[in-house]
Amino acid sequence: MKRFEWVDAKSAQEAVKLTDSSAADLMGGKNTSAGSVIKAGGIDLLDLLKERVLPATRLVNVRTIASLHKVSVDGESGDVTIGPLMTLSELAQHKTIQERYTALSDAAAHIATPNIRNAATIGGNLLQRPRCWYFRSSEFNCLKKGGNTCPAIHGENKYHAVFDNEICPIAHPSTTAVALVALGASLELTSKQGVREVVLEEFFVGPDKDVLRENVLSSGELISAIRLPNKSCKSAHIKMGEKDSFDWSTGDCAVAIQVKDITISSASIILGAAAPTPWRAKQAEDFLVGKTMSESTAHEAAKLALAKAKPLSQNEYKVAMLEVAIKRALLKTSGLNR
Amino acid sequence: MAGKDDEYERKQSRDISRRRFLKGAGLTALSMANLSEAQAAKEASAAIRGPGATAVTLRVNNAVHNLQVEPCETLAETLRTQLGMTGTKVSCDRGTCSACTVWLDGATMCACMTLTVDVQDRAVTTIEGLAQDGKLHPVQEAFIEKDATMCGFCTPGMVMSCAALLARNSSPTLDDVREATCGNFCRCGTYPKVFAATLAAAGKGVK
Amino acid sequence: MSEGEKKAAGKGTLTESKKTKTIKVPIGIFGVNIAEVEREVPLDEPPPLPVNAELNVLGKPTKRLDGHLKVTGAARYTADIQLSGMLYGRILRSPHPHAKIKSIDLSQACKQPGVRAAHIITRVVGTAKERDEKTRAIDAKILFDSSTGVPIVKYVGQPVAAIAATTDRAAAEALEYIKVEYEPLPFVVDMYDAMKPDAPKVFQGPTEQEGTAGGGGAPPGLPQKGNVRGPEVAGLLGGDRGDVKAGFAEADLVVENEYHTQIQMHSALEPHGLIADWRDDALTIYASTQGTSSLRDDIAHLFNLPKNKVRVITEFMGGGFGAKFGAGNYGIAAILLSKQAKAPVKLMHDRKEEQTCAGFRPASVQNLKIGAKNDGTLTAITLSSHGTAGTALGAGVGWAAQNLYKCANFSSQHFDVLTNQSPGCAFRAPGQPQGCFAIEQAIDELCDRLGLDPLELRDKIDADEMRKQQRNLGAKAFDWSKRKRAGSDKGAIRRGVGMAQGEWPRFVDMNSSCELRLTNDGGVEVLSSVQDIGTGIRTVLAQVVAEELGLLPTDIVVRIGDTVFPTGPASGGSVTTGSITPAVRKAAHHLKLKIFDLASSKLSAEPEDLIMKDGKISEKNGGNSLTLKKLAKELPTDQLSVFASRTADYGGFEKGNFLGFGRLSSVQFAEVLVDTESGRIHIERIVAAHSCGRPLNPLALESQINGGVLQGISWALYENRHVDKASGIVVNPNVEQYKLVGAKEVPKIEIVLMEEYLGRSATDATGIGEPAIVPTAAAIANAVANAIGVRILSLPMTPDKVLAALKKGGSR
Repeated sequence: MKRFEWVDAKSAQEAVKLTDSSAADLMGGKNTSAGSVIKAGGIDLLDLLKERVLPATRLVNVRTIASLHKVSVDGESGDVTIGPLMTLSELAQHKTIQERYTALSDAAAHIATPNIRNAATIGGNLLQRPRCWYFRSSEFNCLKKGGNTCPAIHGENKYHAVFDNEICPIAHPSTTAVALVALGASLELTSKQGVREVVLEEFFVGPDKDVLRENVLSSGELISAIRLPNKSCKSAHIKMGEKDSFDWSTGDCAVAIQVKDITISSASIILGAAAPTPWRAKQAEDFLVGKTMSESTAHEAAKLALAKAKPLSQNEYKVAMLEVAIKRALLKTSGLNR
Repeated sequence: MAGKDDEYERKQSRDISRRRFLKGAGLTALSMANLSEAQAAKEASAAIRGPGATAVTLRVNNAVHNLQVEPCETLAETLRTQLGMTGTKVSCDRGTCSACTVWLDGATMCACMTLTVDVQDRAVTTIEGLAQDGKLHPVQEAFIEKDATMCGFCTPGMVMSCAALLARNSSPTLDDVREATCGNFCRCGTYPKVFAATLAAAGKGVK
Repeated sequence: MSEGEKKAAGKGTLTESKKTKTIKVPIGIFGVNIAEVEREVPLDEPPPLPVNAELNVLGKPTKRLDGHLKVTGAARYTADIQLSGMLYGRILRSPHPHAKIKSIDLSQACKQPGVRAAHIITRVVGTAKERDEKTRAIDAKILFDSSTGVPIVKYVGQPVAAIAATTDRAAAEALEYIKVEYEPLPFVVDMYDAMKPDAPKVFQGPTEQEGTAGGGGAPPGLPQKGNVRGPEVAGLLGGDRGDVKAGFAEADLVVENEYHTQIQMHSALEPHGLIADWRDDALTIYASTQGTSSLRDDIAHLFNLPKNKVRVITEFMGGGFGAKFGAGNYGIAAILLSKQAKAPVKLMHDRKEEQTCAGFRPASVQNLKIGAKNDGTLTAITLSSHGTAGTALGAGVGWAAQNLYKCANFSSQHFDVLTNQSPGCAFRAPGQPQGCFAIEQAIDELCDRLGLDPLELRDKIDADEMRKQQRNLGAKAFDWSKRKRAGSDKGAIRRGVGMAQGEWPRFVDMNSSCELRLTNDGGVEVLSSVQDIGTGIRTVLAQVVAEELGLLPTDIVVRIGDTVFPTGPASGGSVTTGSITPAVRKAAHHLKLKIFDLASSKLSAEPEDLIMKDGKISEKNGGNSLTLKKLAKELPTDQLSVFASRTADYGGFEKGNFLGFGRLSSVQFAEVLVDTESGRIHIERIVAAHSCGRPLNPLALESQINGGVLQGISWALYENRHVDKASGIVVNPNVEQYKLVGAKEVPKIEIVLMEEYLGRSATDATGIGEPAIVPTAAAIANAVANAIGVRILSLPMTPDKVLAALKKGGSR
């Protein structure tokens, strides 16, 4: 790692005052005079720094800000607020999350390794940069780093996107994002200018909007809270990989289902590692409304969800992986899983 | 030797004097009603450290160490090069293999993905601190008994993961042990015996 | 030799020349066909060692002597050593797969803080070399461009320059200030592209490469066209036989397929590296190596130093698996930096270097055709293989197809294909897992097509008695009877079982010697340069001495891994245990004789009437006794010392003085679940039946078998290096996206360890490291075919391949 400065921020307000950029700003070659970035768990940040692809000159440490490190339930609305510094381990084991937002605790429990989950925060997980090996390698100046071409489209693309993959086929890396979008989460963002709320699904943006970044976070902005609406539903998250010990998702799916009597009244199906953003399977959702869950219904929904997938040269298998993830997540919400 | 180092030193001394100034200014500021609270907080605490070496106090295996580290120094580097605690191994240096597993306030973490400046508020336990009063931890005993080591390079990390599991779950299942060690990479293939040893240490045999 | 020594040495009779004696040693499989055989052995050989059941220490599970050091983090590896004034070395590597270096400027780098030494790399090792003087001269113009004197770059990661600085960070920073001007040349990284006539040439002319202590390399003098070198038609165990054309004409059935195996990275936990401490009087090396003595010799040769001026130390090392022989480019760089800086220099690979240019098991494509009668009798086998080890040679696929089965007609040819990738090298059982993946699937397919049971057919066509027993015992442990017809399991998750077998030659390294010391306080020490690479030889040596001297293994201090001690074998080819333990037993035996001579007067007994047991020297008939501690006080000098080196195999060698008679046989069974929806394979169970001569420490043997099986699983299902074809860059130079078996993928592994006596040495032990990985991938592939009714002919069997096979087979 190159050397950098260090500041311990005592509050979110202080942190944003000390921060002038994001990893996306610095890696995209924009805002070259800046260099200070927020550090929470530090896992993705250290990874990028060690690979020498993130030219940060100052880390603003927010890890010890206690007010950002808790889960609270609103007494009136029942909505849940998750502090961005909650670690993935804490979320995976949190009773309220497990009971009311199973997809999120499922997702958090299957990320990376136990050591990583003990250090990595939910905020950092949402903001981690894509795992694309070209993007992460200092040897390639790809589109996402301000370069002119994407080496993945015609190169090694086994783990890349099967949807929205024409410009920059990164696979969205955050599995908690997949669960949170399915659960209708929104973010509270804090900057020097103040505080704003963004629906999580709108927070993430594809390469067509801005290939240099994966979200609408502004320079020096911080996720100060994650809000989950109090909505009665059953949810699940299924992650597929090539193995169960430490592996990135090769297709994951979060579903949140509301059932009246035995009929599905609403369905939210979000796919991970499928597209540059958490990918909503709209046709499958529409198909499910009014149906009763069964193995064949789940199967049909899964097929519909992937009908328009456009795999690259090496990742056709991901279509099957995603179909399985959808099917199994749906069946899990109805207790029909094997 | 000129150049960078000197520049860093100059920068650092500048930072220190600025900090001194801010500290003083902050104290005055508290009595000044027209300064906002946020501003006061910033001035009182926003101590920019580095990029050169900065003073840190570490608690490692119940001993306090006052050290000088650059903010970019990882805990694994500090333990291995400054404290001579080479039991914490670095193998992948990216948090993938868990050879560098230590406990921070009792939770397992990768020392290679932890900055030393970031552990001052936490108690560090390393493999060197696991045995108490010269007596091996039951997991260590069981690792020897069941031959759960081969080349031994992954062993300290593996032991730290398994001992942490037993600290939070005194009667784990085989699946619990798999989960606890699923980040610990062993190329020699000690896994079956690591499982057996950990279950044995918990007072159970493997079926 | 004293009279007593002669008497004690020979239970057998002295031959007329008085240079040898005849002894009777156990032979056969314990519990099956154990017998005795007469062997004529040198007079100074120890008496025959009875079967394990009659021994106290050998053959008994014995805890590692260094276990406490490993579990407490106290074991010191090369990566852990810090010497006073030590510098840290780093290497600048080429980002181009093929390029001419037009200029290198180190001046700015040398001015960076902390930098103490820097040099341009002028010699690259590990790759093939031009053969002919003529082409070498033509190539030299390119290889050693007159303006720079720098070798041409042939792969991404090739070392270009090296720097030593006061900290690792300073060295890494300084690398960024080295200015290199490259002139990129056309390159080829894909094996098939490299085989095309118009492909860019990796080398200017035909190439050669010698093997290492661990294998690799290629036979000399073979033809080479472009990047394709070969054919190699004969190997270590012979060449073609019979008439394959006639054989196929006789066949009722032919099985013919193309099998693909991918490269496998060694991925040891401790990366390659060493510390060089160059002083005026001598060079001391601390190295993570599999061969202290062979490394010493390599360094002495490379730097034109007398061997006695080079010392190599390896106290603990964190895994090698075939990749850690010789000085390597990192080692040469460290030594030069140390010489230049007049200070010790540590140079360890980081993980990226380790996964980019530290060797790998070569990839292979095998066209295998077997002909058989309807009863399964084999009539002909032909094998044509191409393999690539990048810029190195030695991508052969072993001798499994040639030697596993009775077949009168056999023909094979192998071609090495050179590409602009980093050089491959030996990896645990070079060639054999690849070869087995093909032949063992072909035999399995033959059984499926003929409706024969795979075990029954093998009983018929496999002449090896050990494997017959292993199949028998393995099948019982596994419950083979539950096997169903291929593809008969229905549903989304399908269960299958399969088996495969393999073998590995019994190699011996005659460079195996030791010293044994008894000090006057009763302490016993064994000294040898042999190194413990994780297999547990340290403990086994203590066991051997303890058995002979009637002590406990914990009574013995084992000092190994240092070339100041007598030369020991390099740990490659599964030679360590079989080579060094006979020498150690011989030393212990002769020390015992000296002890008896000394004790005889104290106990008023004849030396030949004495025994050592429980730390005491006593009369056989239970008369007087004396503790070793007490006797040691009476030593005429402070220390009694015995040196011994290995005796040639009893009954001689099959070839040279390195290939022993007998093979290390193995049979493995696998039970798998295949998720036909996601394409994922889950391995539930492996039964591994193995032989390794006389088992010395079953505890460590089990561990090694587990390790071989798990590396086999990892190769079969997960490991895959991805190289960007447009740039030649490895895009997953880590252990995260280069996927390895983890705790959740570990199946239940049951081991059937055979107790086998070959009557070949004073311990009659052999190794297990290599045999353990040989049949694993093939057994899994056969189980997968049994589960889904479709065969996967390409490794790794990742979900994409499984799904594609199912689609092709119409099962999905």
